[in-house]
Amino acid sequence: MFGYVRALKPQMKVCEYDTYKSVYCGLCKKMGKEFGFVSRMTLSYDFTFLALMNMALNDFEICHKNERCIAHPLKKSMCLKCSDGLEYPSYAAVILIYHKLKDDYADKGFKGKTLAFVTLPFLKKGYKKAKNKYPDLAQKIEFYMNEQKKIEKKNTSSVDEACEASSQMMGEIASYLSDDEETKQVLSRFGYFLGRYVYLCDALDDLKKDCKKGNFNPLRNYFGFEEKELSSEDFDKARKYTLDSVNFTMAELAESYVNLNQKHFKPINDNVVYLGMKNTFSLVYNEKFGKKEKKEK
Amino acid sequence: MKNPYEILGVSPSATDEEIKSAYKTLVKKYHPDNYSQSPLGEIADEKMQEINNAFDEIMNIRRGSSNAGEQTTGGKNMDYYRVRSLIQSGDITQADGILNSVPQNEKDAEWFFLKGSVCYTRGWLNEAYDNFATAVNLNPDNMEYKAALEQMNRNRMGYMNGNPQPQYNTNPNVTGCNGCDVCQGLICADCCCECMGSDLISCC
Repeated sequence: MFGYVRALKPQMKVCEYDTYKSVYCGLCKKMGKEFGFVSRMTLSYDFTFLALMNMALNDFEICHKNERCIAHPLKKSMCLKCSDGLEYPSYAAVILIYHKLKDDYADKGFKGKTLAFVTLPFLKKGYKKAKNKYPDLAQKIEFYMNEQKKIEKKNTSSVDEACEASSQMMGEIASYLSDDEETKQVLSRFGYFLGRYVYLCDALDDLKKDCKKGNFNPLRNYFGFEEKELSSEDFDKARKYTLDSVNFTMAELAESYVNLNQKHFKPINDNVVYLGMKNTFSLVYNEKFGKKEKKEK
Repeated sequence: MKNPYEILGVSPSATDEEIKSAYKTLVKKYHPDNYSQSPLGEIADEKMQEINNAFDEIMNIRRGSSNAGEQTTGGKNMDYYRVRSLIQSGDITQADGILNSVPQNEKDAEWFFLKGSVCYTRGWLNEAYDNFATAVNLNPDNMEYKAALEQMNRNRMGYMNGNPQPQYNTNPNVTGCNGCDVCQGLICADCCCECMGSDLISCC
């Protein structure tokens, strides 16, 4: 997960933004408590959304507490406390990140390898703990990670096929948010398109880099780009195609989203689904999704 | 076993078209989706099975008695009906299997439409769109194909169900309010002011 699923701040009410931040803060603290300091550094906004959805669909006890944070030691900030609601997202995050880093270690470049090599030992214990608690989920994530690798090895030129494994995986992760069979099905489709969206964003975001390095990229294969330096016309073609795909995906995402009975946090989740995700893709589309945006709060 | 014609509620002298439309109506009526919450679900399932068997039987009888030329089209159409009911019941793998067994040169508009529907259900939206577009190209008059393509085109432009703030369009291809809109707005406001006896832009 890469931080593509996030809220659009300018369209949030102050109270909503404060709540959003407090969920992020609470999740971060929860991860620190459960899995140690290093796991906190891996947290992204995607899991904040997962936590919000979890608390939106279920009735958990929630309270806020003013606390200090390591990232801002001088200022106290609001932090959400809800051990039931934050537990699953933090476990899912650790399982996913562990596998992602293992993947990076196996086939990324020097930088990715080093980062994964340094981080992995710290996550191993946390991963074992999470695997004990959610053995099915850990097994399924591992399965879909392998499927994804197989598809990429096949060097497919179908964008849909390339998205499949990641999308299925997110569907699986999302389906755990409810115990009700019918809601689970809706969540599974919702997650599928969430995963598809993330994968498409990532594919476009990495397109230039992948062309340079000759890595697998579904868009590169689809258009048959051979050159190392992508011309601006070619890039334009690829990003317009991705825009269409993302819009198809978002429309289907919304179709299942409206069928979820949210009891809490609906305005915040609406913001993420209808505005935040589209805005993030606009940033990717205009090649402005970078480190600066990631740090901006 | 009951007379298949009785099950479908048609006379044995009915044309193929009449039988197909009777079959379609019944499939719609007893579709599992309509009974998902109802204790009648099992009965509906049985009924559905009965209808499918009756339809298959009639079609088999008729195919046997008709000439060779019609045989192939009859067989193919029946396959398409089966694919349709498979898609409706959510059995995508089997539907896709039947579609993939159709040879390349026999693929017609209906095939592309059904293939598009299969892709759509799986979430393979790009391929769904391409297939729907091909179906409409091959048969521009079919309303069903057109409706499917139009819906996807609307989605392509950024439509999202339940969007409470559609006016905040973040689609990078659509520039919301350009210079032209601003001038137009100002002139419009000016006209309104003038109607009320005052003035906003003194020079016009």
